Amino acid sequence: MVNATKGVFISCDIPMAQYIINMNASLPASEKFIIHILDNTHIFVQPHVEGMIRSQIAKFREDNTYVKPN
Amino acid sequence: MGHGDKGRPFKKFKAAAKFDDSRKGFVDDDNAYMGDDGYDDDGEKEGKAKDFSKLELKKDHANRPLWACGNGRIFLETFSPLYKQAYDFLIAIAEPVCRPESMHEYNLTPHSLYAAVSVGLETETIISVLNKLSKTMLPKEMIKFIQDSTANYGKVKLVLKKNRYFIESPFPEVLKTLLRDEVISRSRITSEGAAGDGFTISKTAGEIEGTHGELLNEAEVAAAAEEKETHSFEIDPSQVENVKQRCLPNALNYPMLEEYDFRNDTVNPDLDMELKPQAQPRPYQEKSLSKMFGNGRARSGIIVLPCGAGKSLVGVSAACRIKKSCLCLATNAVSVDQWAFQFKLWSTIRDENICRFTSDSKERFRGNAGVVVTTYNMVAFGGKRSEESEKIIEEIRNREWGLLLMDEVHVVPAHMFRKVISLTKSHCKLGLTATLVREDERITDLNFLIGPKLYEANWLDLVKGGFIANVQCAEVWCPMTKEFFAEYLKKENSKKRQALYVMNPNKFRACEFLIKYHETQRGDKIIVFADNLFALTEYAMKLRKPMIYGATSHVERTKILQAFKTSKDVNTIFLSKVGDNSIDIPEANVIIQISSHAGSRRQEAQRLGRILRAKGKLQDRMAGGKEEYNAFFYSLVSTDTQEMYYSTKRQQFLIDQGYSFKVITSFPPPGEEASLNYYHLEDQLALLGKVLSAGDDAVGLEQLDEDADDVALHNARRSAGSMSAMSGAKGMVYMEYSTGRNKGQAQMKSKPKDPSKRHVLFKRRYGS
Repeated sequence: MVNATKGVFISCDIPMAQYIINMNASLPASEKFIIHILDNTHIFVQPHVEGMIRSQIAKFREDNTYVKPN
Repeated sequence: MGHGDKGRPFKKFKAAAKFDDSRKGFVDDDNAYMGDDGYDDDGEKEGKAKDFSKLELKKDHANRPLWACGNGRIFLETFSPLYKQAYDFLIAIAEPVCRPESMHEYNLTPHSLYAAVSVGLETETIISVLNKLSKTMLPKEMIKFIQDSTANYGKVKLVLKKNRYFIESPFPEVLKTLLRDEVISRSRITSEGAAGDGFTISKTAGEIEGTHGELLNEAEVAAAAEEKETHSFEIDPSQVENVKQRCLPNALNYPMLEEYDFRNDTVNPDLDMELKPQAQPRPYQEKSLSKMFGNGRARSGIIVLPCGAGKSLVGVSAACRIKKSCLCLATNAVSVDQWAFQFKLWSTIRDENICRFTSDSKERFRGNAGVVVTTYNMVAFGGKRSEESEKIIEEIRNREWGLLLMDEVHVVPAHMFRKVISLTKSHCKLGLTATLVREDERITDLNFLIGPKLYEANWLDLVKGGFIANVQCAEVWCPMTKEFFAEYLKKENSKKRQALYVMNPNKFRACEFLIKYHETQRGDKIIVFADNLFALTEYAMKLRKPMIYGATSHVERTKILQAFKTSKDVNTIFLSKVGDNSIDIPEANVIIQISSHAGSRRQEAQRLGRILRAKGKLQDRMAGGKEEYNAFFYSLVSTDTQEMYYSTKRQQFLIDQGYSFKVITSFPPPGEEASLNYYHLEDQLALLGKVLSAGDDAVGLEQLDEDADDVALHNARRSAGSMSAMSGAKGMVYMEYSTGRNKGQAQMKSKPKDPSKRHVLFKRRYGS
């Protein structure tokens, strides 16, 4: 029996994959979004979280970036 | 709003319109001409405030080297044939903000102008020279600003006479203005019961102050001023600092002139010392000295030269010119020895006239004048001393020093400075430093504690001149391994984050590769810096290299350093932050930094300074024409961690000096991988286990308590600071987030970036 699930295929580097996994782990069970961790750099997630992941990562990266105050 | 906003083309020279227009953009925190409206968070307006495209170009602008903008910013083209002259002039009147290779940015501030007049430039000269060099007509408000800032200079003098401080002025009304200030009037010492506003009037150039005069009416005032009389009142020595502070441009605006007419000082005995003929000051050293002794007198102030550029020669030369007793303060016992050595090396001072005063060697000089080299700690120490040192310190306190020479002024905690300065009476103070950046808010204090900045060398010019090493700076990006990053992200590991990103196996391997490469391929001498003790020991043990940290005994340190200097087998040493300042290792020419103190710009610059004094003899360095880079500075950074934030921040100072950091992403190169440690996953996991099982204390930063001499390295509280009042550069405001240093761990950056602090371009991008 084949089950078809619609989702978003994420391809990223190793640390970012870990970041997404960690993000998923920190959420309550009902909001978990990872459908399958394919390998170190590929994850299959539910379609509605794409924007959230993008913005979280953008924020994370920005926190690690220093901008010279003007 | 102004004319520009309505889109009216700016055709001809219209004084009024132009004035209005650029005035809008004129921003200065001290004298805010305008409301905040021109400066809210809106990126559009922000862009406009810095838009000076309407300034009128002169016809021959191509021949002129600089742009002067209405907001006090000046931009200098370094490729102009007039660059050298323009640079010398600008460095005297303005504060360097950023000095990359082809274009420098300067900021005109009340303090920088104060420094300018104090080195003898007059208001008219400043304006006319600036006008000559500028491509555009000088904005009106810049002229006005210069005039306003410099008008009151030189009217008040602070004089030290027979161990008493006097404020002198030929204008009694100025003194009255000063006395109306609460701080100053409180610190006044009314001598012999003289009531009211009785000033001491001295008839000649300050010989005997005997006559008291009640100055009641204008006529008397005029009469008094006519015959070169100076009026003075005495102030409490302990309040000198506060009084000076009140007189600065941002308060009463009567900056006090502190000059020492050492040639005519007959009270203090001369010291017989000359520069030896082989001591040839380099051009920039000459220049900094000429700023100090411009009018035949000695001015107090700070000279800023990069590490390894020969600050000590400047200090010794200054002492040789003044030829009076000199008190030289250094940060620790090692540099005391070095200073004493430098004095003997460059000057003809006799051995019995120079003495060191540290906890180990308590020497006393014979005769009535001499040089004493000691540490800030020894002078400021408040506890009980041995009888012997009590005697010496008493002698230091009671003496009137011709010159107070202060090394590394940026590292000394402000309260210690205060103490030293209030304890010792000196006619002239010279501060030397490489990095005029402080992580605490106290940088401001240096301005009134010591004096204005007299000279600041341009690092890149010194590199070009071959005076300091040409350093290739590189930031090596090491991606976190999967397992380490997973642990890094876990909340419960927040205290171990630093240990995790420092111990990142990829970083270790990059470090190992670099050491191997530089040792075998180039035969370089390498220093590896790690602030994190856990990492230091792990790395050093694994790679089997010697290491020095705070607890390493003096004997062992000397042994290791000796081996590093002489032995062919010891080419790499691991240093904790004890090596930042105090250890002098001229042989080293490669630095690998694996961990660092959060975002300390000073530490970065000081570490770079360890290799600026390039290998080779003085003559070799002077010759120039070597290979492109002769020193290397690597900073290893784990990507996607906080380290990226700190690393960029740390680099700011060096970037402002014109250094650029090359980013290297692929270390170690393919093919080398298997030969390095932690190639196998099980090794990495073992390391991870070690990091996680280590206690929180063990993985924290090193605490240097036992190193009592190293005032530089502890007791520093870190908080938001501003360079502004020290240097006056409003553009050089560096924010520091409190890192809670004594908790032993660089803490997590507590809040996300304030959107309002974002650069205009980013704001647009994020649409916030």
